[in-house]
Amino acid sequence: MPTIELAFLDWAIIVLYFVAIIGIGLYLKKFTKTGEDFFMGGRKNSSWVAGLAFLSANLGALEILGWTGGTMKYGMFVSHFYWVGAIPAMLFLGLYMMPFYYSSKIHSVPGYLKLRFDERTRLLNAFSFAIMTLLMSGINLYLMALVFNLLLGWDWHVSMWVSAAAIGCYITLGGLMSAIFTEIVQFFLIWAGLFLVSVLGVMEFGGLGEVMNGLPSTMSTLWSTTGDPDANAMGVTWLGLAMGLGFVLSFGYWTTDFLVVQRAFSSKDLRSARLTPITASFFKMALPFIVVVAGLVAYKLGMDPASGFKLPEDPSNPGKLWNDAALPLLIVRYYPVGLVGLGITALLAGFMAGQAGNVSAFNTVWTYDIYRAVINKKASDEHLVWVGRVTTVVGILLSVGTAYLAMQFNTIMDYIQAIFSWVNAPLFATMLLGMFWKRTTSAGAFWGLLAGMITSFGIFIGFRFGWISGDLASVLTFTATPSDMTRNLWQASWAWIVCFGMTVAISLFTAPKPDAELEGLVKGLTPKADDGKVGLLGRPGFWAAVALVVLVVLNVYFW
Amino acid sequence: MSQDDSGREPLPIWFFVGVILAVYGVLVIAGGLVSTRATVLADTKPGLWWGALMLVAGGIFTAIGWVSHKKG
Repeated sequence: MPTIELAFLDWAIIVLYFVAIIGIGLYLKKFTKTGEDFFMGGRKNSSWVAGLAFLSANLGALEILGWTGGTMKYGMFVSHFYWVGAIPAMLFLGLYMMPFYYSSKIHSVPGYLKLRFDERTRLLNAFSFAIMTLLMSGINLYLMALVFNLLLGWDWHVSMWVSAAAIGCYITLGGLMSAIFTEIVQFFLIWAGLFLVSVLGVMEFGGLGEVMNGLPSTMSTLWSTTGDPDANAMGVTWLGLAMGLGFVLSFGYWTTDFLVVQRAFSSKDLRSARLTPITASFFKMALPFIVVVAGLVAYKLGMDPASGFKLPEDPSNPGKLWNDAALPLLIVRYYPVGLVGLGITALLAGFMAGQAGNVSAFNTVWTYDIYRAVINKKASDEHLVWVGRVTTVVGILLSVGTAYLAMQFNTIMDYIQAIFSWVNAPLFATMLLGMFWKRTTSAGAFWGLLAGMITSFGIFIGFRFGWISGDLASVLTFTATPSDMTRNLWQASWAWIVCFGMTVAISLFTAPKPDAELEGLVKGLTPKADDGKVGLLGRPGFWAAVALVVLVVLNVYFW
Repeated sequence: MSQDDSGREPLPIWFFVGVILAVYGVLVIAGGLVSTRATVLADTKPGLWWGALMLVAGGIFTAIGWVSHKKG
């Protein structure tokens, strides 16, 4: 495909973005003095700041490009990843789990595992999380270079090193607060730079109804075709969606992944921390108006040869169309000079913020849960900040190394992208039992978590090499011919079930910690979150209820 | 965040968001005025009204950030 030509004003917008984020890092450095400043953003943020950062840490360009393209394949089903696959978990985190996280004043999710269970469970999670974030960061970098090389003709090496240097610069200077500031800037840039694509697409068709009109039934509904996996474009059943996506994958990610939860830890008080994911949930629910609407516009344009809209060939799968190019092609279709630069900057910001989020989470887990826990137990606060800065630079370099590895061995991407399911899906079972069942023991948590991770990895490898097929595949996925999406959902579900079952079984035969050691960490031994004299509009419970009502209305409307 | 060596708190993020949106709004309007790219719906002048919206939003965020910083 021909590359997109950028005018002077487009370049000016892109260059200004780099100037702005490095400038913000330089500005914040003089306020970044302690470990609390560098790793926790000073713990002074409002729920608005923490909430938007919470959402933006998840809102990478990969997701936006991928799901806009995914909509051309799966239709409205993509909305499940923004609605049932996110909102219940975010509300659960805010209402029920945040009091345990925030009140214990931990620096990380592995830090909670240390307090609740023991050092080995913390280290198991800390190492797996550290590896996962670095690899994800590298993949993010590689895909950014790939996308900009194909769309804009930018040199691979320059793309990777310039963006990595910029991220390294502002995280090293301002720590988590730099990451949070740039994530919020990214949030506004994505809405300013990409929402207009959907608006103009709807204008071209004459209304949203006209965009939806004529879509096949396999793509135009959310739930009504999930009784039979062959009747919907994603090839999933309602049970797979509800159990795999709505419960295990969603709760596993939103409630335990330190990359997002770290933003809530930066809140100024418990009420703000609880409101953080609840505030974010409203913006999460709005994202299909960028992603899904743009994807449906691209689908409809692609159906009409007279539209002049044609997807290029997928560089990774010759012979197939490259759906991920849909959004950039719409930018070219609708945007004049200046807006093209803004759209490209929004994507660039999305890629860079995703990488920065991974690096800032990595430096915290490495510094507190590995370096201080194992290597230097008596490290001073000042020394830990220094370690955090060095770790940021090392993390960035390792990310670049991973990116080059992915460039050389393309299949490594499949493994890396599956890591999330190996790490987070079973961890949610450990956290759930740890927070809500005081009988859960350290031995149960450790061996249950390990078994869950091995289960997830085993199923992944089994499907990949054909060891799991036929009747066994049908039993594991409740489907005669499971799609890739169905396999992923059930792989995570089984990991969760095994971890949950093993943890309970072992806990029943081993000695729990005494109650005195569990105060503030487990339900029943932790004071209930008290909102004091705050009015109705300041209460997390009220806004969670409103979010739930909006979620139900959206699902019923598009049923 | 800690105070700087002069005892000042950092400017709120809304100030930076506002400045960036406002500057980008001006550049997008300028792009809309000079663009000769043949785009679908070019007659609706998206660069002009979208840039103007960004400029207004940027002004509001800048003001909110500045006022809240002054109030401490």
